[in-house]
Amino acid sequence: MASSATDSEFVTLVSGDGFEFVLPRSAACVSGTIRRMLEPSSKFAEALTGRCILENISGIVLEKVCEYFCYNEKNKNQSNVPDMEIPPELCLELLMAADYLDT
Amino acid sequence: MDNEIPLPPPRRIRHRSPTKNPVASGSSLRKTYQLSRFDDRSSQPSSDPALFSSDDIPASGLENYHAPVPSGSRKRRYRGTWWGEMVKDPKRKRADFKEKRHVDSGVWMGSDESGADSLLPSEDPSMWGEELLKDTGNSAVTGSRTDVAMHDSERWTAQGQPWTQRSGLKKVEEPKEHQAARNIVNECLESGQDSVDLSNCFLRVVPPDLLRPLQHLTKLPAIIEPPITEDVYSSLQPFLRLFLTGNSLQSVPGELFELGSLKVLSLRYNKLTEIPPAIRRLTLLQEVNLAVNRLQYLPWELLWLIKKGDLKHMIVRPNPLMQIHEAEIAQWHSPEGTELDSPEGTLKLRDYEGPAPEEAWAPIHVATGPVRRFNMEGMPVDAPASGMSASQPNQQESRVPSLREISLLACTRSVFFDQVSDEEMADYPGLILRMLRQAKEVWNGGGRSCSVCHRSFVLARTEWIEWWDCSTYESGLKGPRCSGEKLRPLPFRRLGCSWACVPNAEADQHSREELQL
Repeated sequence: MASSATDSEFVTLVSGDGFEFVLPRSAACVSGTIRRMLEPSSKFAEALTGRCILENISGIVLEKVCEYFCYNEKNKNQSNVPDMEIPPELCLELLMAADYLDT
Repeated sequence: MDNEIPLPPPRRIRHRSPTKNPVASGSSLRKTYQLSRFDDRSSQPSSDPALFSSDDIPASGLENYHAPVPSGSRKRRYRGTWWGEMVKDPKRKRADFKEKRHVDSGVWMGSDESGADSLLPSEDPSMWGEELLKDTGNSAVTGSRTDVAMHDSERWTAQGQPWTQRSGLKKVEEPKEHQAARNIVNECLESGQDSVDLSNCFLRVVPPDLLRPLQHLTKLPAIIEPPITEDVYSSLQPFLRLFLTGNSLQSVPGELFELGSLKVLSLRYNKLTEIPPAIRRLTLLQEVNLAVNRLQYLPWELLWLIKKGDLKHMIVRPNPLMQIHEAEIAQWHSPEGTELDSPEGTLKLRDYEGPAPEEAWAPIHVATGPVRRFNMEGMPVDAPASGMSASQPNQQESRVPSLREISLLACTRSVFFDQVSDEEMADYPGLILRMLRQAKEVWNGGGRSCSVCHRSFVLARTEWIEWWDCSTYESGLKGPRCSGEKLRPLPFRRLGCSWACVPNAEADQHSREELQL
């Protein structure tokens, strides 16, 4: 089971208030913190189960973070990157999350 | 003496809703009010009827308060507001009021004591419902009208005091030099003077909102005695000139770059260490003087203004500018057709004969310095402090801004950002505090945009120096460079928003687009 989780293409991110987001591994690995969590060579529980529980990020913020992961993944090789909209009330929390996730 | 004309009665304060003694007033008012409703229901206006001083009955003074009220004084009975009525009589329907509203002339005539604020039953909204409740309850008459008046006047004075105090607190004394500067600006605005001279005003900072009104400056036509000749006519388009010479400014306020019509800007003899890239927004700028400051490099956007804008005269020396023979150079740009790749060759203008070619006028790109890269936190990557830079190489080259960058940009764009004080900011977690401070600095300087892809950004990810010779522009385009003249390039700092925004990235992008076509 452990091996299937490490090979799986998708990972699950869980917010502090219990929301779960399933997204491609490559997109989630945009974040340095998540990449290190999911490093197969490490024997972290996250790496074995493919489930990252981010206690200090709320569901609303994590949703936006996931949106960013996909936005980054999508525009990685583009030369003309569109803007991503961020609601102003979320920007400070997102900044904290971005710092934590190292993105 | 009996026939003497009676003196006008003492003025009564005419508030329909005292807060201190609502029981007394409510009941006494209610009595008259109910009467009114019965005797003339159809023609009742929805707003307060006008009150006239002649309506006062001489006999209704304090002396004979209990005297019967003459039938002529009907007007004073209507003191309830239309919403007050609704509460008092729940049986009445909205339709009744609709009919009544047609009667309303729409003209409101306040008497001298009934200010606009007395339209409301009470200033305190929490007292409101209570009052109305008391009105509906049948309480006994306990107070007298004078009581009410007294309380009301007390309330007036009590109200007045905090008002004046508050306004006293609000007014913070502005430094004298700021006041003087504001006076100068106002004078220019009033007289339509388009040369704003704020030189030697001892300004350390430019106070907020000092320069903003200047964008609305309009010139006044001159009135000249006849005979009128043709040279009397002059353009009424303001030729806006701003002189901030000889102050102690350490940074250029972002507000300055909102003056889109600015033609001449002098910041000579200040303490500036950097000119914000937002100077690019002054697209009509023709002349700029940055001499005698502490500038080590110029913003690349100034070069953009020369090439694409109107800038014709740029005075930048003396300044402690970087020198090309001391600086690190990554690439020398020798003019086409020459094989010279040595510094000596590129630092000399190509020999020419006859009329001066275009390149003798235009700015010449002499060299490019090495690129410095910054990580997502805005720290230089090669610095030992950053241990987080071990990212994948393919990710580094992407043009996608980091999430930190996106959120910082959203912060600077939000309305509350300028209201957050430094003290408040100190309570934020330390990790983001530094970034926020930097964002504020950038915001104060008028924002940044990438010199390669033109995206707005907060934290620069790349930085490099380009060396350009602009000597013709330094002399105000008086003449071309001489044949074989030695070049004296100036350092222009360029900033990029992503690691893909580096020198030659523009050219690469063009070639890639061509390939795709």
